[in-house]
Amino acid sequence: MGKTMIEKIIRRAAGREVKVGERVWCRMDLSTARDFGGANCVLQFEEVTDKKGKVWDPDKVAFTFDLQAPSHSEKVSTNQKIIREFAKKQGIKKVFDVDWGIGQHVLLENGLVKPGDVILGTDSHMNLLGAVGAFATGVGNTDIVASWFEGTNWFRVPETMKITVNGKFAKGVCMRDLLTHIVGTLGADGMFFLSTEFYGDTIERSSLSERITLCSMVTEMSGKIGLIMPNGKVLDWLVERAGDEVLDRVKTLAADKDAVYCQELEFNVDNLEPMTSCPDAPDNVKKVREVAGEHVDQVHIGSCSNGRFEDISAAFEVLKKANSRVAPGMRAIITPATREVMLQCAEAGYIQKFLEAGVIFTNPTCALCTAEHYGALPSGDVGMSTTNRNFIGKVGKGSHTYLASPMTAMATAIRGKITDPRDILG
Amino acid sequence: MENKVLRGKAWVFGDDIDTDLIYHNKYLAETDPKKMPQYSFEYLPGKENFAKEVKEGDFVVAGTNFGCGSSREHAVYCLKYAGVPVILAESFSRIYYRNAINNGYPVLFVKGLSQAIKDGKIKDGDDLEVDLEKGEIRDLTNGNSFHGDAVADLEMDIMKAGGLIEYLKEKAVSK
Repeated sequence: MGKTMIEKIIRRAAGREVKVGERVWCRMDLSTARDFGGANCVLQFEEVTDKKGKVWDPDKVAFTFDLQAPSHSEKVSTNQKIIREFAKKQGIKKVFDVDWGIGQHVLLENGLVKPGDVILGTDSHMNLLGAVGAFATGVGNTDIVASWFEGTNWFRVPETMKITVNGKFAKGVCMRDLLTHIVGTLGADGMFFLSTEFYGDTIERSSLSERITLCSMVTEMSGKIGLIMPNGKVLDWLVERAGDEVLDRVKTLAADKDAVYCQELEFNVDNLEPMTSCPDAPDNVKKVREVAGEHVDQVHIGSCSNGRFEDISAAFEVLKKANSRVAPGMRAIITPATREVMLQCAEAGYIQKFLEAGVIFTNPTCALCTAEHYGALPSGDVGMSTTNRNFIGKVGKGSHTYLASPMTAMATAIRGKITDPRDILG
Repeated sequence: MENKVLRGKAWVFGDDIDTDLIYHNKYLAETDPKKMPQYSFEYLPGKENFAKEVKEGDFVVAGTNFGCGSSREHAVYCLKYAGVPVILAESFSRIYYRNAINNGYPVLFVKGLSQAIKDGKIKDGDDLEVDLEKGEIRDLTNGNSFHGDAVADLEMDIMKAGGLIEYLKEKAVSK
């Protein structure tokens, strides 16, 4: 009987054969924490080891400072300092401080992620690293602390869902719209505890940033991981960053042709339209056309789901085509995922053009997914964002948010009300 | 786990209760678990008074996918240290489930609870009696009863040890 990708990944990490449903102790390739959750991990580790503990392998522990970067309060500054000092004491060199950007993206850009790696982090969207075939998962501080003892933790070997996507996106439609459509179709627990493998010609042609978008939203369907084995340009990019071992991993960890799936779904994107998650849940999905004209106070383009250069380029194309600026009274914010993405935006000349058009262009950070940093919404305000969750009050008590693609978000920023980007792009 | 019958009032929630609604991102910088209960459910409309009014021994009762969203363990601590002895839900989100087990914090999977909540068969303020060992849940206010399944497999071993850290320490000693 053939094996799925997650079965092969867990087999590699466990060093033995595994079966679906079994609980298995796995070796970690990387165990990470952020400025959020990181201080909790450090304090807990020091407490349970009487400050005498050593992490099992300082080279396999990393810290990323992204939730509130740079820090906006004394409390957060203190937490970040707690992490810096612990890293120094433990000889942990992989500390990506407040200048780097969103953790998983930074790890990926720095060549620290290979297909088949098992990675923990205090971020529920760690699993976007499934975009390069890694099994990364968000966990709480106790799981991180436990993994620091001997570099292991346990997983249940999950069943796997297979999603095949064919067709070409029409102008103004992109991977985010497909994802929103899938979340609307399957619902908030539609991938409950599952691993999902993505196939089909749409996926094979897709870029790294599209794959990241796709895999990041698996969390919003309560999935464990979404996996795509790197091919084409994504594979070239990854080999350049993470080395030749990537090639072996791709060969040995791809799913078998006769792998067993618990569910198989097919989607075709030829006739897909721009989609949006309406307030106040990711699975409350409608076509953008159905809510066009609705008032929006603030637009935010960025986040671990849609903060890559390609996402910001897509927004830029809408701005260019509109030959206009942000609507009066509208607040539009763009946040690149990482410093590397920000530099790409600078080199492409986007930042200047966005600023001239009235956009606020920020440093790379997760901050706009919280109510505790810049861009928080007051009660009653409505936002549109390319982030991944829109439960009531997420970015400010009593506020509501629509989730949409960077193109829809930019079109909405320009017109001052929810706008189908095809109305601008033609 | 102690084998005893618990009594307390129900705090009833729907499906897909996200971690920002349980413990909002505004308070993520908190590092002392015992200070977390004061923020519980502050951002969930209709439940803003939970933190002030919850009594030790009260139960959290929810539908499917409880604790979806973020990985924050704060969302478990804030209920554990508020004195909620067990969470009863039809299902738990993956990370929330792990975080509860890792702290030796009991959860019961209760079939049909989501629909029962929608049908008003279990309501806010109802008096509940919960036999953790047997998984028997009785609503003393209206006479309805439910059955909940405890965790199994490795998760039960971790629960019995009192949490993941304790489990690993026991394992290290027995090596």
